[in-house]
Parts: sequence; structure tokens; C-alpha cells
Amino acid sequence: MNLSYRIYYVWKRNLISYKRFVIPTLLVSMGEPLFYLLTFGIGLGTYIGLIGGRPYLNFLVPGILMSATAIAATYECLYGTFLHMVHEKLYDSLIATPISAEDAVAGDISWGVTRGLISGILLIIVAAALGVFPFTLIKLILLFGLMVLVGILFASMAMIVTSFAPNFDFFNYYSELIITPMLFFSGVFFPMDSFPGWVKIIAQFLPLTHAVALSRAVMSGIYQPGLIFNLLVIIILEIIAFYLALVFMKRRLIK
Amino acid sequence: MEQLITAQNVTKKFKQLTAVDSISFEIRSGECFGFLGPNGAGKTTLVKMIHCVSPMTSGTLLVNGLPANINNRRIKSMTGVVPQEMNLDTDLTVYENLLIFSQFFDIPRGEALKLINELLEFVGLDQKKNSKIDELSSGMKRRLLIARALINKPKLIIADEPTTGLDPQARHLIWQRLRMLKEQGVTLVLTTQYMEEAAQLCDRIVIMDKGKILKEGIPEILIKEEIGEEVVEVRAAADLDDKIISHLSGISFHQERIGDTLYIYSRDGHDVMRKIVELDLPKILNRPATLEDVFLKLTGRGLIE
Repeated sequence: MNLSYRIYYVWKRNLISYKRFVIPTLLVSMGEPLFYLLTFGIGLGTYIGLIGGRPYLNFLVPGILMSATAIAATYECLYGTFLHMVHEKLYDSLIATPISAEDAVAGDISWGVTRGLISGILLIIVAAALGVFPFTLIKLILLFGLMVLVGILFASMAMIVTSFAPNFDFFNYYSELIITPMLFFSGVFFPMDSFPGWVKIIAQFLPLTHAVALSRAVMSGIYQPGLIFNLLVIIILEIIAFYLALVFMKRRLIK
Repeated sequence: MEQLITAQNVTKKFKQLTAVDSISFEIRSGECFGFLGPNGAGKTTLVKMIHCVSPMTSGTLLVNGLPANINNRRIKSMTGVVPQEMNLDTDLTVYENLLIFSQFFDIPRGEALKLINELLEFVGLDQKKNSKIDELSSGMKRRLLIARALINKPKLIIADEPTTGLDPQARHLIWQRLRMLKEQGVTLVLTTQYMEEAAQLCDRIVIMDKGKILKEGIPEILIKEEIGEEVVEVRAAADLDDKIISHLSGISFHQERIGDTLYIYSRDGHDVMRKIVELDLPKILNRPATLEDVFLKLTGRGLIE
């Protein structure tokens, strides 16, 4: 691993590039979670009544917060990175400077995390506008930290997929067969209690399940000892995914 | 003169293919050194190892006394690369491209801003400062790549086929700029498949093919040694060869038949011409020998696939 502070330069390059597309991407980042909150939260929520003594929207927001962060980080490190690598030859120009291949990849992961945070923060604003959750500063800091962890994890996982991708179509497998099903089996939209035991076991292998559990605990303020396990799972997976992302991407970039 | 780059038995293998096959050479500080060769000769692979973006399979390669390997940021810091492939940042403007690159090299902002203006003037792009990359012609893009390669005030510039695909005006402008850099004491490493480019710019060249060095030397001397002073091209059917050659007896020359043309290489084309004219052949041409003749002689005149 040849990492240095130059990760920041790569992140900054992405920020300068992002300025040009900030309006359309903000609209997209805001649009999707807003759509979920309105249709599921308010539309469906009226028929659901209370979950755990609170309105459905309060159940939904922490779940959507995690999934919106994860998805934004994922797409950035799938499509954004692939574009940088194959179409724009950006990595070729980066690694000819003192920036190492690892710096460049970690820089793109850090940018994926940033895109995740942007989506997450927008969602918190929307949720607040819908009257969900009186946020305290502590809760906001904890949620922010959680979004960073989830962002690094999902950006790194996407980076691993990108390192093997021959073309854009390849990403459909990942987003349709892994990411989308993950949303429905991680307790984002409904509690997993009603599923048979084996589904619950599978759910334990989905990283989003643990993120949603943590997010929901922070928002409700109900903390249980089991949350430490959730946190450990995320941190361990994150270290593994980040490491593999650097190794596989380096293998693709350095020939 | 001091050596800037020393390569000993440098080898690069990709699975089945040996792209660079145990090459040794030395490049002196301040000279322009050219790698000539057809497509697939291994030129790009070789220079990528010099500027530390591609690892060697075996051998030793020293740049400014430092071992070249992909983690050597110090070599990268003192090297400017003009890549073969256009890899400007198309999301950014001309100015932003240079600014962000200056940061990659840890150049303080104040110094960078001054340098960027100088460089844009140097490559004649000061009017295009705020243009998008897509709005530039291919010649302008190449000039911007040169400006970008100069942002870290490099000791060594590696230009990988810097004029491929450019029109003559753009090509001559780039040659002028590269010569100006050499005047300033920068060491230039050039790869090219244009013989004229090598003749215009290089102090010394190596001719490469299939990962090996075929010949090394000073362009003019290589031409004299390998070809002679002049070439007479006779475009005539092959069955006339014996007649032509016997008619030239008494003159020192050697010949080569490729396709529809008989090439006669000699120290002085006048003697050959005088004799050939007597034969009254329809198409003959007398011209000075060039690096292209050397290149084609060594790498073969047939199409390389």
C-alpha cells in the first residue's frame, strides 16, 4: 500500500469537476430518496399505522438515509470511476505524477464517500421538512460518522466491481442483482421480523442490514448491546473491501 | 558528460509477449535521445518503465541515480511526460488542467499561477485559458500536454510520439518548442516513428524492433555507415535488375529490390546516375540517403503486422 496525503488532491480534482454538474446531480441525489419518502413514507405509511410505537415515516427515514448514502457512493465508484479509468484516461495522467495508483483509487473512493454524504445530508433536510425527527447535535454527529463508514464500505465494494468491469453493461449485474435486492432484505422499508429464519440469517450477511440497525438506533435513541456487533461487522467489512479495492484496481491500472 | 539514465538488461514480459527484451543503453544529461521503431517495437513500454508507471520484469534501470520502480515518487517529481494518448482532463478548462497538475506536484499556489501564465504563452495557448478541452484542435491539445509536462520544471522530459496525427504546422511548432527546452538544458527522451522528427531533434538514437535494439548511434553517422551518401531509386520490372547491375560494374554500390523498385545505395549518386541514364529507363530518382532508409533497411521494408 503506497498511500499518501495526495489522496486529497484527487478528491479536490473531483470537486472541481463536480462544480460543473452540481445542479443536475443535486436534483438527482435529492429526487430519488424524496420519491421513496413520499410514496412509501406518506402514501403507504397511512395504511401501515405505527411501527414500534412511532409513525412509519419515522421508521423509514433512517433506512432510506443509509440506502441513499450507499447507493450514491456505489454509483460514483462504478460509473464515475469507470469513466475516469477507461474513457477519460484520467488515471494514466494521475499516476505519471507523484500520485500513486493507490492514492488515485483512494481519492476516488473518498469522492464516492463525499457523494454519499451529499445524498445523506439532502435526505436529512427533506426528512426534517416532512417533520421527522427533532435532531440533536450528538445524533447528527453519530449519523454523519455512520454515513462515512457506509460510504467507504460501499464505495470500496463498487471499486472492486469496477476493477473487473469490461464495460458499463457489467454494472447492471451488480446494481440489479446485488444492490437492489439488498435494499429489500436489509430492513430499509419494513422490519425483517415477519420473514422465516433463513431469510433473517441471509440478511445478517448484508452489510446494509447492520448499517440500518445502527442508523435506526441513533435516530430513535434506543441503544442495545447488539449494536456493537453491527458496528464491528461494518468496520471489518470496510477494511477488507478497501484493501481489496486498492489491490484489484492497482492490478488493473499498473501493467 | 554525466549519465541521467542507465539501463542494463531491462526486460518486460506480458504473459506470452516479451515487449522489451534485455535492453541496455545510457542517456546523457542534456541530450535528446530518440527511440525509433515501428508499431509494437516496445518503445512506449520502455519509456513507461523509465517514468515509473510500469514495473520491469527484470534488469536494472537508474534515473538520476535512483532505481526506477512504480513507487518512486522522486523520479516522477522530476519528470515531465507528454503521453501518446490525449489524456487531458476533459471535465476541466485549460487553466484548471494546469492548476490541478501543479498541485499534484506540490507547487505552491502563487508560484503555480505565475508559471501557468508563462507556460500558456510558451505553447501559444494564452488566448484559450478558459476554453474547455473539447474546444481545442488536436494540435492545441498536444501543446497543452507539453505545457502540462513542464509544470514541475522537469529535469527529464519524456515525449511519446508527440506529433503523431498532427498537421505539418502543428508538428513544426512542437519541434521548435522541444528544441527550445533542450537549449534550456532539459534532457529529452523521444519515441517516434517519424524519421524526420528524429533527424530534427535527436542527438543520438536507437532503432528498435520486436523489443530489441537493432542499432544505436548519431543519426548522420548511422546513415553513412548503413546506407552511404545517396540513394538512386529505379522503378522498373525486376527482370531488368541483372542488366542494370552489370551496367554499373566498376562503381562501388549495393542494391536492394523491394516490390516495384530497385534501390541503389552509394557514396556518390552522380556516377550511378550517369550510367543509369544511358539505359534510358522511364522512372529514376536520385536523392540523399535519410534515416528512413536506415530504418527500413534494419526493420524491413515489408509491412509489419
